This record gives sequence, C-alpha cells and structure tokens, in this order.
Amino acid sequence: MKTSELATKTGLKAINESEDKIIEGVYISDMASDIITNAKANALLITLLTHKVLIAAANLIDVAAIVILKGRLPDQEVIELANRVGIALFSSEDDAWTFAAKLARLGFNN
Amino acid sequence: MGTCSHKWEMTDILYGYLVVEGCSRCGGRASFFSTEAVAPVEQYKEGDHFWAHLTSSQATRFNLKCTKCHEVVHLDDLVGLMMSTCEQPGCYVANIAKSEGKMTSVYIALCADSSHSSGRCTSTASINALNEYFNQNIKTPGKKILVLPCSKCCSIDTCRGIIIADIGLTDIY
Repeated sequence: MKTSELATKTGLKAINESEDKIIEGVYISDMASDIITNAKANALLITLLTHKVLIAAANLIDVAAIVILKGRLPDQEVIELANRVGIALFSSEDDAWTFAAKLARLGFNN
Repeated sequence: MGTCSHKWEMTDILYGYLVVEGCSRCGGRASFFSTEAVAPVEQYKEGDHFWAHLTSSQATRFNLKCTKCHEVVHLDDLVGLMMSTCEQPGCYVANIAKSEGKMTSVYIALCADSSHSSGRCTSTASINALNEYFNQNIKTPGKKILVLPCSKCCSIDTCRGIIIADIGLTDIY
C-alpha cells in the first residue's frame, strides 16, 4: 500500500509534501536507539516523538513515512529537516493502539 | 575473507548511556558507552586529566557481522552517530555534504576521544562497514548515507549535527 492510500484510509493529516512510497512494514517506537536497530527500510514508523532526532534516525534507516500520534506536531525546524531528506510526515489523532488496530484491519500484519 | 561482498547485520546490540565528560584542565572531551543501570556522573583524575560529567543520554551500541563470511567488525571505537547539519565554510564535512548533493545524508561516527588528543578516531574498517551496512538497506533510488569519522569535523564543539541518542521524556514533545 502506498502512503497516500494509507493516509486516506486512516484519516492521516499530511504535515509536509513528499514522494509517495510503498509501505513494506510497520514499526512503533519512541526511542531513536530502538529505531536505528530495529526499524526496516520502507517501514511506516509510528511514534510520539517530534524531536529532530526522529528524522536523523528515520533517515538513516530509510523509512517510508512517519506517523506522529495523538495530534502532536513537530517544530518547523523538524519539518524542514524532513523535507530536506525526503521523509513524509503525517499526523494522527489516534493513540498507538488505535492506529495499530486500523493498520491491522487494513491487512498490515508485520 | 577479502573477496566477500559483505551482507552486514547488526549483532551484539547493547542499550546503555552515551556519557560525555570534559577535562577542566585541558578542555578536552571524552565520551564512552556505559551499560550501568544509571549513567555514571562521578568526577575522577586520570593522569593529567580531571574528568567531570557533562551530559549523558540513552543510546545503543552494536557490532556488524557479515551473514556470508561471518566476519565481525567490532565497533568498540564508535560511541555514537550524528547526522551532520554543518554548513560552516571551511568545514570538510560541510563541503563533502554540499558536493555530494541533496540525495546524500552525511553522518558522523563519534569516537570516544572527541577532542582527538590521543590522535585516534574511529577506524577505517569500522567506517567502511558502517557505510556498507546502512547503504545496503536503502530502498529509495539514488539515496546515499555517507558515514565519516569525527576527525573530519571542523570542531567537535562547533560542527553542527543531531546526535542519535534517546532524549528525555520531557523533550519528547
């Protein structure tokens, strides 16, 4: 599934403009050290983090997109960094469990 | 096995603290990885140095193992990675990033002796393995990760970047 399709189906709000990518997995984490050791390329990264370290870690792994939960929004500096490295940022009003359940209903099972 | 086209994976992953200390006598900086339950903050004397705790944050440490030839690159000389955002004129890292273009992201391998008073930095073997590992997993066409040793920074105090370490809960939002 592409990020644009996922955004439509789960009610995600795009924070920045970016390339549409195919999502090949899902990872949920609020720790940069965990992201760089466990997330996979083209994964959808789900997090509460809004700090710029999130972009530094996600870019190293080459995630497909980031969903920031509970309606939180990163600072402009973080958005600009995401733009610079081409990472799509989305915002969801959901908590991690609610959003993960939506993904499971859409067929994401890893 | 010199002819192996390595396929690296992380191994020996440890979670702990990246601790940074400063010497009040020479102004030098040193950092180390601690797996203690609480990051050590004690001051101590070591030769001519008098080290005091500056900062610490949760971080991870790992080695790289080739799944084909089973070679292991021990990253004992690496204490962290920093995404470079340096744009200072005259900075080697900033110049490399500029010449590489927007599809390349430069990361700095931070060694324990960040002031390089010992003359040592992250080894070439470690840098090569890190470059191969991170680039082999990239799926975005044209994207590249370039890992450089911190000895290439204009100054560890002024070279700008984002250290990949876990920030405190109060900083999450």
